[in-house]
Amino acid sequence: MSDAYANENTLVSTESDVYDRGLDAVISLTVLGFALSMVALVDVVPLDASGSALGGFFLALLAVTVGGVGVAGLASWLNVVPVTSQRVRGIGLGLLVTSVGVTVLAYGLGVTLATLLGLVLVFEAAAVAAAGVVSRVGLVDTGPDMSAGLLAGGAFGVIGLAIGAALGGGLVGFQSLLWPVVSLATAGVLAVLAIVPREDLGSTLPAALVVGTLGVVIATSVLGPGWQWNPQTLSGGFTGGAVIPVFVLFSSVLAAWSAAKARAGFGAQGREYGAFLVINLNALLMLAVMATIVVFVTVKGIAYSVHGLSIGAVAAMVLLAPLFVGAVQFARSPAGPDEWHAGARQGLRVLPLAVVGAAGAFLVGVLALGEPVYYAFDYTVLENRVENQLRTAVAVTNETTVGSLLLVLAGFVLFVYFFRKYGTLRNVGTASDRLALVRQAVTMAVLAIAALTFVFLLVGPVPFGITPLWYAGLAVIDLGTVAALALAALPALGVLAGTREASLADSAQDSAPLFTLGVFGGLGLLTVTLFLQPVAQVAPSVGPVNLVTLVAMVATAAMLAAAALVAVAGRSADTRIQRRFLAEELRLALAGAAGFLTLVGLHVAVTGIPQFLLGLSVANAGTLSWPMVQQAYIPLGTAPGGIMPAIVGTVWLVVGATLFAVPLGLGAAVFLTEYAEQGRFTALVEVATNALWSTPSIVFGLFGAVFLIPRIGGDESLLAGMLVLGFMLLPLVLITSREAIKSVPDEYRDASAALGVSRWETIRSVVVPAAMPGVITGVILGVGRIAGETAPLILVLGSTLNATEAADVIGGFRFMAEPPFVANEALLSTSASLPTQVWAVIAAGVSGSPSMGWATAFILLMVVLTFYAVGIVARTYFRRKLNYE
Amino acid sequence: MTDTEPASTASQTTTTTAGETDEEVRAEWTDYRFDGQAKLSVENLNVWYGDDHAIKDVSMDIPENSVTALIGPSGCGKSTFLRCLNRMNDRIKAARIDGSVELDGMEIYDSNANLVELRKRVGMVFQSPNPFPKSIRDNISYGPRKHGDINKGLLARLFGRDDTAEETELVERSLKQAALWDEVSDRLDDNALGLSGGQQQRLCIARALATDPEVILMDEPASALDPIATSKIEDLVTELAEDYTVVIVTHNMQQAARISDQTAVFLTGGELVEYDDTDKIFENPASQRVEDYVTGKFG
Repeated sequence: MSDAYANENTLVSTESDVYDRGLDAVISLTVLGFALSMVALVDVVPLDASGSALGGFFLALLAVTVGGVGVAGLASWLNVVPVTSQRVRGIGLGLLVTSVGVTVLAYGLGVTLATLLGLVLVFEAAAVAAAGVVSRVGLVDTGPDMSAGLLAGGAFGVIGLAIGAALGGGLVGFQSLLWPVVSLATAGVLAVLAIVPREDLGSTLPAALVVGTLGVVIATSVLGPGWQWNPQTLSGGFTGGAVIPVFVLFSSVLAAWSAAKARAGFGAQGREYGAFLVINLNALLMLAVMATIVVFVTVKGIAYSVHGLSIGAVAAMVLLAPLFVGAVQFARSPAGPDEWHAGARQGLRVLPLAVVGAAGAFLVGVLALGEPVYYAFDYTVLENRVENQLRTAVAVTNETTVGSLLLVLAGFVLFVYFFRKYGTLRNVGTASDRLALVRQAVTMAVLAIAALTFVFLLVGPVPFGITPLWYAGLAVIDLGTVAALALAALPALGVLAGTREASLADSAQDSAPLFTLGVFGGLGLLTVTLFLQPVAQVAPSVGPVNLVTLVAMVATAAMLAAAALVAVAGRSADTRIQRRFLAEELRLALAGAAGFLTLVGLHVAVTGIPQFLLGLSVANAGTLSWPMVQQAYIPLGTAPGGIMPAIVGTVWLVVGATLFAVPLGLGAAVFLTEYAEQGRFTALVEVATNALWSTPSIVFGLFGAVFLIPRIGGDESLLAGMLVLGFMLLPLVLITSREAIKSVPDEYRDASAALGVSRWETIRSVVVPAAMPGVITGVILGVGRIAGETAPLILVLGSTLNATEAADVIGGFRFMAEPPFVANEALLSTSASLPTQVWAVIAAGVSGSPSMGWATAFILLMVVLTFYAVGIVARTYFRRKLNYE
Repeated sequence: MTDTEPASTASQTTTTTAGETDEEVRAEWTDYRFDGQAKLSVENLNVWYGDDHAIKDVSMDIPENSVTALIGPSGCGKSTFLRCLNRMNDRIKAARIDGSVELDGMEIYDSNANLVELRKRVGMVFQSPNPFPKSIRDNISYGPRKHGDINKGLLARLFGRDDTAEETELVERSLKQAALWDEVSDRLDDNALGLSGGQQQRLCIARALATDPEVILMDEPASALDPIATSKIEDLVTELAEDYTVVIVTHNMQQAARISDQTAVFLTGGELVEYDDTDKIFENPASQRVEDYVTGKFG
């Protein structure tokens, strides 16, 4: 019966396809039942749904199954995807068949979901029992042991106790003393049935009895959706809506175990497969819980949170650019062994690119059309306990303005993406002394301008009433931008100039020092001049366009030109090493282009002055309109409000707490692991850390409210929130960092010591980098926890339901020439945060609040997932850097 | 330290081929002299790990620009002895060291000794290849950069002290010395962990050479490698002996016979039983125990 021996004729005597395929179908049915009961448990489909409502849902589910598991199963069966296990294929195909069956049943019989689940259980019970009997009478070739074993017997005994108690209670009533007898008797029968007969009967009949009984009870509506039981001794009660799914979950696992044992022919193989399926369903449950929460929150909150969402086509294109680059890389990655289905897999890799491309084409279409494109829909909001239909639309408009922050975000992501692979070029140095001089001068200039900015920041743009200094600022900006433009043009010009003497490829290779100088020098110089502008209060412009922005735009074009030249040169490269070198140059040039584009956005963001060029414009008020995310909260009512202050608050809280906790935690971990003698002291610290980690969060909140707040500002504040969350994050960072540092091999430390490198240098340049992935894992876990922390924030941050302004932390900085030199009002003021907002909105209980709460929770979930994504990318980066990949 | 010192070890009375005791043999080889100056001079070295007396009263002189092999059965203390020569045992808290080791006549166990300088002059290669999880280039330049011999980065550039060219030269020279240049010259910025075991070990040798040492200590450098990689390492050791003083611990007696100029035999208990020219040790050892060991009757 087992696949492992499928080709060994001596080991497998009888072929019994009906038995195998049948059990595959039963296992698939249990998986389906499992999934359905999860769905019923979270109310996606009510248990008493029937007829076309139920059928419609099943049809949707069938579509998903066909799309996912069905295709995989079918593809495997057709040998397209090399899934070699017959069982996996069988289950895939079985899922398809059983889904069709259940859908037809839902339409044809017109029963409720509960009844249907009951019927499924009854069918499973019958099939499992039949398998046992067929095996016992020898119609199929199996290898059962003499008994299912004491463990199975004991387990069935316990199950029997519970079922017997319920049966006894139902039949004779709990007042009668007879019900314990019934309970014990049931337990005894099940246990004996499991232990005494041969294994094939012992592990199928009791399971069939239990599953069948539950199935009949549910199918006949003895235990229906409306069922309720409120024991007098309990203040709560049980309802059919909760009990039925739980019973079906449990029965599905039991039936799956039994069917799996039968499928593998009992004996050692059977136990293996049975156990495998049960623990597999456990893991599935884990996944299902996570997916359920995300789906549940999304379904409840998404419509409200995207109310009135619209985006300009050009802005959408900017947003799409990083995705496009990612899709290109995915499409270029190797598709695996070159077999006849390699084409199909290659096609799969191009799919994201096709999707992004289609989206881009759509956006171009919107621009060409000259009119916005809408998708309108209705959704329900609970208002004054009345369900209220709201109509809204999401739209893509034909506007050509790009928001500055959007540009900065996309540009920066692209810059980092292209920059990360620049390796060989770092070491090209400078080809000539003249170039080295330029390089040195540029570095000096950057530092000098930064210093000048700082001076202006402290003493103002017209210091001590001396106007010439103001002109000096203007002159520096003029010279700096022109120099930056010259630097940015260097790579392209250098390559072109070199072609007079050498081939394009050689010229491009020889120009490598110009690339590093142009990109880093140009970006550095332009960045510092950009920040000097608002501080020195000068903004030189050429026509209507600001000088810095204009230079950044032209520099972007110059970088793109250099990139194009290198790309062409790469086609005629002779050697592998030259190709690789040119590829790095290309990436560097693209990084430069993305960097200059980021500066355009940054400039607009800093100065607030919109910039226009060639019909496109960059402005702070972009064309992405997302009321829920962008607007400050407006009193609850029919039209959704916005929670921008809460989002900003949560982001600052997490950033602040991380900045506080990571250096401290990492430092302590380094000391405890590398320096401290392992002994009482380290053990004590370890105990203290663990205790700190398990301290209830409300205790942290009380500590913050009573200890911290009187000492910083005297009022609930963002800073207090950051510190309290930082304290909570600290132990986790410490624990995970310690483990990560401990797991760095001692060989690295030995090797470093043998080179005469001090311990601190070794830690800094070998141990900590090697421990970085572990440290980041800790931070990710911790951030997930503190981002959603509510209790302490209520105490130290203040729960501001009606916050209308976001905490302006960056703009809140004030510098002055006398102590304390720097102040930040925003950090010392109260702020909103997403979790406290959810709590406040629900506690307020006013009209529309449940919908608002769900939408806020949805956005909180998205924010946390974004932090996760950032963390996971960072971890992957460090892992790649450490391990050869 | 003297008051905690264990009672002097019971002298063994094993006799030699010539009927001499070990004590007498030892008195004989202590007189072992070679032409030229001793690079390393060890006097009455004792090492304890807790109560375990790992090295017993070892004295030997190691000549310059030659290969000295340390052989002996497992646990005889030859690795411990090697690690005493650049004070790597300082890193083991339980280890207690007594005696004198002089490098060019200077006491390395002096309380004023500069560990950084010592380890720059006495490099080490370990049993299993242990490159850092960095690029090949960074592995080589790690030591000199940390010592401040090579400056890179923003500040160096600003002060006009950028040593990128020197670094490139150093990387090339070290890799060529370690006979690895031809294999990796086109991927210096790849992670060193992507190299094969033998390449990694030669990278570790190159890394040790990069700090321009005078002595190179090798702790069974070929024990984790296949025969081809081993023979490459052996050729390399022979070449290195022209410019460097090499002290190598090995389990492999053929290897010791092939590559070393003189051989020291440690036997169980942390004693140096015999130290002489390699030919003499393998052909005509003074001690019966050494003869048994090198002919495979013991150990």
